[in-house]
Formats: sequence, structure tokens, C-alpha cells
Amino acid sequence: MPGSPPLIEARDLTKRFGGIVAVSGLNFAVQQGELIGLIGPNGSGKTTTINLLTGHVTPASGHITLRGRSARGLAPSEFATLRVGRTFQITQLFSRMTVLENMLVPGLARPHSHKPAATATARRHLEFLGLAALEKLQAKNLSGGQQKLLELGRALMLDPEILFLDEPFAGVNPFLRDEIIVLVRKLHADGRTFVIVDHDIEALQRLVHRMVVMSRGEKIADGTVAEVRVNHEVLRAYAGV
Amino acid sequence: MRTLAFGALVVFGAFALAFPFLVNGYWLSVGVLAMFYAIVAASWALLAGYAGQFSFGHMAFVSLGAYTSGLLVKWLDIPIPLGMLAGVLMCGIVGSGIGFVCLRMRGPYLALFTVAFSEVLRIVIVSENEVTGGSGGLEVTPLFHARTDTPYYYLGLALLLGSLAIMQFLVTSRWGLFFRSIRENEDAAAASGVKVVRFRILAFAITSSFAGLAGGFYGHYIGILTPDIGSVDQMGLVVAMAVIGGTESIVAAMIGALGLEFLIEALRSYGQWRLVLFGALLLLTIRFARNGLLALAWQQVMRLGSRRRMRSIGQEAG
Repeated sequence: MPGSPPLIEARDLTKRFGGIVAVSGLNFAVQQGELIGLIGPNGSGKTTTINLLTGHVTPASGHITLRGRSARGLAPSEFATLRVGRTFQITQLFSRMTVLENMLVPGLARPHSHKPAATATARRHLEFLGLAALEKLQAKNLSGGQQKLLELGRALMLDPEILFLDEPFAGVNPFLRDEIIVLVRKLHADGRTFVIVDHDIEALQRLVHRMVVMSRGEKIADGTVAEVRVNHEVLRAYAGV
Repeated sequence: MRTLAFGALVVFGAFALAFPFLVNGYWLSVGVLAMFYAIVAASWALLAGYAGQFSFGHMAFVSLGAYTSGLLVKWLDIPIPLGMLAGVLMCGIVGSGIGFVCLRMRGPYLALFTVAFSEVLRIVIVSENEVTGGSGGLEVTPLFHARTDTPYYYLGLALLLGSLAIMQFLVTSRWGLFFRSIRENEDAAAASGVKVVRFRILAFAITSSFAGLAGGFYGHYIGILTPDIGSVDQMGLVVAMAVIGGTESIVAAMIGALGLEFLIEALRSYGQWRLVLFGALLLLTIRFARNGLLALAWQQVMRLGSRRRMRSIGQEAG
């Protein structure tokens, strides 16, 4: 919406791990309804950026705002309560809990939630993701692709306004990749905002409207897919051109 | 299977109620101690098996609860139930503190920290002999002035069933779900909106309170408290009881404790060899039945049941 503050914004955000600067002076704003691809070579700070914007790591300096209010120092659970969802680079499930229980954890962690309503919502999402028949199975017994879908489903249980997906296409077969693209499009059409980190640029090109490129902890490009593809700094970062 | 479980419950309940009339005084006293160990093992299973916090300081909380109640009753002459309640509260408060301090500790670090905590407490009790009676022991007012242990037995049974009911309610509630999610993956739990810090502390506080309750009961039953109750040896025994029964089920841990307490006493004539047998059983459980012997036995019963069902369906079809 014009005039309204960004859904989430990083200003001069810096994170150091010991002597290594993982993210340096990052400025990055996400507007409601955007579908953004966040790319960059390995070690460029993409996952750290997601971790910073979801409270999993604390910035050394800089500001994070969520819907115009400061969100710096909030715990990950508080981001989740404020409808910020995420998935992880390496799928993180509750392995020895059933598929339905995995979904119920965020469902019941929401304020004023009730088990029957949370269960109904969980089953609706599992149906949407094609996992309904597996609800009684332990998460560790799912295939890698199904685990990725379950992790997405678990994030959906927060009814997130914004979803950070960390490498959703990594290690998945082309069919599942297409399925994930379709699911993300549907969720985006429902009004959810996405920031997707991945190395699969071809998949991202089919999906996102805006691409942000990071290298060595800094943002080096931010624009449409067409703009980013011809950006010299991006070419240099990726291929040394 | 539900019928089988219900049948087992009825038989177990009837046996538990009739127990004082079926055995002599010695075995009745073993029964009382078995109740005590069952509460401690079940609450440790809630902490370690459900919440994933492998504490070696649980018996220290038993000791803390026992000494708090014993000393308050002795000094302030308050009613024993009030003393026991104070012990429960004290353990809840100290348990919260330990839970808070241990927030960032996992696995061996948490285990070592809690071992150190229990040793510190034990040494304080030994050193402050003017207050605690030191190694010589603290005389504690008995709960009942009866000739037999029967009132203690029924009180122990009531405390055990009450504790079990509360713990079982907890593990089937959303708190239980959150405890398990934290055990499985803290980052994912936090990203799912679970307040990890709050629930880790809660797990410590709640289970420490149950340990304190068991400690108060033990002290006022035995009549004399020594620092050894909180020793690492005793903790090892409780861990073994819970592991052999099954740490991921409150009921299994309880049955493990009841069974092993009776087994240890039944094999008393074998001296130290019974402990070797006990150790071997523990090793075999860890190696072949990581969810405990009861879960393994239950799986076999379920398999047998489904095989019979399949056979009867086959016969009907044939």
C-alpha cells in the first residue's frame, strides 16, 4: 500500500561472527505482497539475513522494523507470534513427532488457540500440501521432499503475513520443485509476502518479481529479474566477469 | 488392545489396593519405598524423556524437599503437610533458578552442571551439621504414629496416583507438545512460536517440585534424613529405573521403578551380584530397547494382537 511502512525492514544491519563480518550495513525493505528472491554466492550472508530478520541471531548494530515498529531484540517465538514464518536451509522438523503434531506445535503456540480449531486448520494445510494421508506418520519417516513440504506447512500454521523460505528447492527433484513453485504462487495470490533464498536462479526467475543479490555480506543489487541479470557487480560476484 | 489395557489397569489397581493385606511388614515397607521411587522416576522421565533435559540433579531436589520439610516441621512446629508443601515450593523455586542457569546447556554439559549442583548441596548438608545434623542424620517427625506401614503405603499410593494424573495431564496437554518440540529441535520450536526459555524453566520447576514432594514423603516416612539421599549413586538408580521402564512414557518409568525396587529387594541375598545383574539389564535396554523394556513388551503384545486379528480375518475369508 502506498504510504504505509514496509512489512519488514533492515537498516544498516550488521552481524559479525568473531572476526568475520557475515552481514555488513544491510538496507533491505520488504513491502506487503512482494515476492522476493534473495540470491548470492555461498557465504554471502543470505541465511544470516533471514536469521536476523526472524530473531534467530541478534544484530551487532542496525535496526529491524516490523510493520513500522522496532523488532530488534525480539525472540524468534515473538516474530512467529507476529506472523513471521520461516523454513530452514537444512529442514528442521520435530522428527519423532507425527506429521499432525508437527503442525499442531505452531497451531497451539498461537495466542487464544484451541485444539479442535488448530487441528482443523492443520488438516486443511496438510490437504493443500498433499500430506493429508500421512498425518499419523512420524516426521522422520517422510521422504526429503515431504519433509520440506511439512516444514512449509508448519510455517503456514502461524498464518504468516511474511514467509522466509531458506533454499526450498535445494535437493528436490524437478517435479517437486514445480509443485513448490505452484504452492508458493497460490499462497502469494492469497496475500502472503515471500522472501525466498535459493541458488536455483532458474526456479526463482519463474517465481519472483524482485531479486536482491548479496555478496560478502553486502547487498550488491536490488531490482527486477531483468535488471539483476545484466548487473555487472552481480556477474562479477558469480563468475568473476 | 484397549480392553487389554483396561484389564491390566483393573488387575493392577486391585492388587495395589490389596497389597498391604497380602504381604508381611518387610515387603510393605518395600512397597512404600517403591512408591517414592516411582514418583521420582516418573518426574525424571518427564524432564529427561519429554523435555529432553538430562539432569543428574533430580535426587538433589528430593533431598532439598525432604530437608526443607523436616527442618521446618522441627523448628517451627508447623503441620507436616504444610512442611511438605513448603518443600515442594522450595524445589519449584530452586528448580526454576537451575533451569534458568542451565538454559544454554545441553547434553553432557547439563548433566555435569547438575551433578555439580547435587554435590554442592550434599556437601552443604554435611558441613552445616548444626542445622542439618550432617552425616549423622536429621531426625524427622513421622507422618503417622501407627504400628504398621499401611497408612504410609496408602498415602504413597495416593501421592503416586495424584502425581501421575497431573504429569499425564501435562504431557497430553499443549505444554507436553511444547516440551517434546523443544526436545526435538529448539530452533524449530522457537520458529513455531514456542517460548523456549519459559518452557525449559517450567519443565525444571515442575519436575523439581514433584521430586520435592517425593522427598518430603520419604523423610517423614523414614524418620531420619542423611545427605546420601541426594547422592549420585541414588541418582544413578533412579535413571536406571526410568531408562529400563522407558523414559518417553511417564507410566513406563513408574512401572520400571516399581518393578526394579521389588527386584532389587528380592535379590538381596545375592549381595553385590544383584547390582551386576541390574547393570547388565540397563546395558541391554540401552542397546536393544532404547524406549525401555515396557515399550518393547507393549510392541510385542500389539504385534501378537494384530497377527491374531489378521488370522481370524483370513479364516473368515477362507
